Amino acid sequence: MDQPDFIASFMGDYYAESEEHLATARQQLLLLEAAMHDDELPTAIVDELFRSFHSLKGISAMVELREAEQLAHEMESCLARIRERRSVLTPPVFETLVSATNVLEQVIVARREGAAIPSIDQPLAQFNAVCGASSRQDQPPATSTVRTHAVPLPIRVTFTPTADLVARGVKIDTIRTRLSDIGHIERVAPQVTKDGGIAFEFLVTGIPEDTLRSWRDDGVTFEVIEEGAGLRPVDMPAPSHPRPTDTTPGPANYVRVDLGRLDDLMRFVGDLVVSRARLEDTLLGVESYVPAAIWRTLEEHTESIERQLRDLREGVMRVRLVPVSEIFRRMPFVVRDLARDAGKQVRLELVGQSTEIDKFLIERMMDPVLHLVRNAVSHGIESPEERVTAGKRPDGTIRLVASTIGESVVIEVSDDGRGMDAGAIARRARDAGLDLPPGELDSQALLDVICLSGFSTRDEADRASGRGIGMSVVRDSIQELSGSLSVVTGPGAGTTFRAVLPLTLAITDALIVHVGSRTFAVPQSAVQEVAEIDCAAVRAIEHNELVVHRGMPLPVVRLARLFGIDTPERPRLHVIIVGTGLGAVGILVDRISGQREIVVKTLDDPLVNVTGISGATELGDGRLVLILDAIGLTRTLRHRSSVIRAAV
Amino acid sequence: MSTNETPATTNVRPYILFSVAGTTYALPSDQVRHMEMVGQITAVPNAAPFIEGVAFSRGRVVPVVNLRVRFGFEREAPGIRARLLIVEMNNRQIGLLADSAREFVSIADHLIHPPNDAIRGLSGNYVSGVATMDERIILILNMTPLVDTNPDVAA
Repeated sequence: MDQPDFIASFMGDYYAESEEHLATARQQLLLLEAAMHDDELPTAIVDELFRSFHSLKGISAMVELREAEQLAHEMESCLARIRERRSVLTPPVFETLVSATNVLEQVIVARREGAAIPSIDQPLAQFNAVCGASSRQDQPPATSTVRTHAVPLPIRVTFTPTADLVARGVKIDTIRTRLSDIGHIERVAPQVTKDGGIAFEFLVTGIPEDTLRSWRDDGVTFEVIEEGAGLRPVDMPAPSHPRPTDTTPGPANYVRVDLGRLDDLMRFVGDLVVSRARLEDTLLGVESYVPAAIWRTLEEHTESIERQLRDLREGVMRVRLVPVSEIFRRMPFVVRDLARDAGKQVRLELVGQSTEIDKFLIERMMDPVLHLVRNAVSHGIESPEERVTAGKRPDGTIRLVASTIGESVVIEVSDDGRGMDAGAIARRARDAGLDLPPGELDSQALLDVICLSGFSTRDEADRASGRGIGMSVVRDSIQELSGSLSVVTGPGAGTTFRAVLPLTLAITDALIVHVGSRTFAVPQSAVQEVAEIDCAAVRAIEHNELVVHRGMPLPVVRLARLFGIDTPERPRLHVIIVGTGLGAVGILVDRISGQREIVVKTLDDPLVNVTGISGATELGDGRLVLILDAIGLTRTLRHRSSVIRAAV
Repeated sequence: MSTNETPATTNVRPYILFSVAGTTYALPSDQVRHMEMVGQITAVPNAAPFIEGVAFSRGRVVPVVNLRVRFGFEREAPGIRARLLIVEMNNRQIGLLADSAREFVSIADHLIHPPNDAIRGLSGNYVSGVATMDERIILILNMTPLVDTNPDVAA
């Protein structure tokens, strides 16, 4: 084996290990900042930092990443001088350590992505300049505090519309409004009932059970989701007294596993799920040939296999889950830097850090959360003077909250800052030539507007939050993960962004839809609503078609046309509604035949990389069925949809 | 490979032979993972014309390239002798749909010549060499352009 190959085989381990050391270093730097105004030198923290950079130096040398090695070396020796009291830990020294840590991370990331290695000259020069300086100034205490909060238990509310109810004026809208007036709707998903009808399942919080009980005659049933299956607000000890041993993960009983192996494992479980479904189908075909007593035993066996399979699936899924603190622990850094640059005072509260989420989702949620936090600091929180004038504390609070609700994970980023003025935003949008429905913007429409490319309520874009292109990227990335984004805000009342994501993506519930002779699966998380429409109600506006749904024009696309599928005209069609508010688009299909749990197999070969298809699955009968990427399919249309609406 | 070596010392490699529209083609057998009867293939909307669709192969979803269409012949419903050759390349697994697949043969390197102008037609763009064995002409395929996303490779 020659040298480059030899190194290449180590790189995976190197990245994983350096990530751990960097995470520890970041944590320790925060503690160090908090301890800087103490009279005693926080030796334990300095030691821990020294060890992290020492290890980073060693492993970087092994993989011959010279820039990382050199930086880590400088940091290590700077810390050694401080430890030996040859140097004093001053704010400039501290800042240098922080910025050098950032550059070090950039160097490693650049190497991993095969990009150009950033220059390390500046941090090296800084070390030269500051290490050895000797005055000690007062520094404000750390801006990060961690608290715990109780969150109310969620309730699963099911509404089954009937002709009677509709006649009495009780429709899905009625129920939705009632629920959102009293409490909070976490998630809505249409369900196909056993007899082929359609029901709607809401996941709600903050609604008294008595109220729900009183709606029983209106087709509403509910169940409280118990602790464990439901919300898991998790406590995190507040590191007010820096005790490094408490905050750094020990060498406990952990195994580092390549994500690919877990994917394999999940695939095997998925195959098992499909085989079991096949077995059940086959068994049903032989029922009449089998003596009743044997049949019962067979049934019991298949049922216990199903149960065990569910446990196995959950077990494998759980292995893939990692605490959301992987995202959160970076944020104190970001907030600290931005707040300082903007001359603001910000406290950061982290709630539910040990809430677990699929590793795949963690990696993809990092940037969206980062963006929301940046926005909160630079647009949300006011300057101390402005806050005092408004009767608020001078320091603003940003809260990051993670919790699990049923099969979903909720991540909230909220601030107690100036909030958004829907009226002002609507005016600006209309001035900019955007066609909006008349009257007040509801929160969904507000989100649509702020997600429009190029729209920003600030005249000057600052470096932190860009030019308003960010929000659309945030929303698109969340939707690509089958999640949804919502916002609650008001002038002076702060802003809360709320992302709801599925726990895992490998196995999901899907609606089975048909167009001509073709069958497709549509992941339910992407579907807002399903409805049946009269074909005659579809109106053509230039090159687009729309229907009036709930009194609003809804642009629709025919799946048959998008995919070039021959299908006879039908008097009635089913429509799958994707997106909400201004972004809602309907996909017309011949019919929806049911709902099932599907095992998602990705389809990433360039030969079949087609817009609107995200993967494939097997429905148990050996047939392979394509999974629709409903969001991707309607993306172009959604971006145009306000224009189409305006043309009505 | 040099021409003055004796056949006894030249490399002999195993190939898999298959036929498409009456012509015999070969792929090095180390590029072929396995062969399958043709099961259900699900069409993929808006994919390139030569993509027959996607199929399950041992639990994986693989794209299926219709070699008839790829080589410029009329599409035909796969017959009873049709086979799916599952090939592997750069971590991709791809199914090649052939009219029939026959056998393994060993072909000595010195029997393979570069394609000349006599090899016409679309498939010529995918042929890396021509071998003559027992009066039979075998076209050795080059997989890279075959599974490229371009509709066809211009000569």
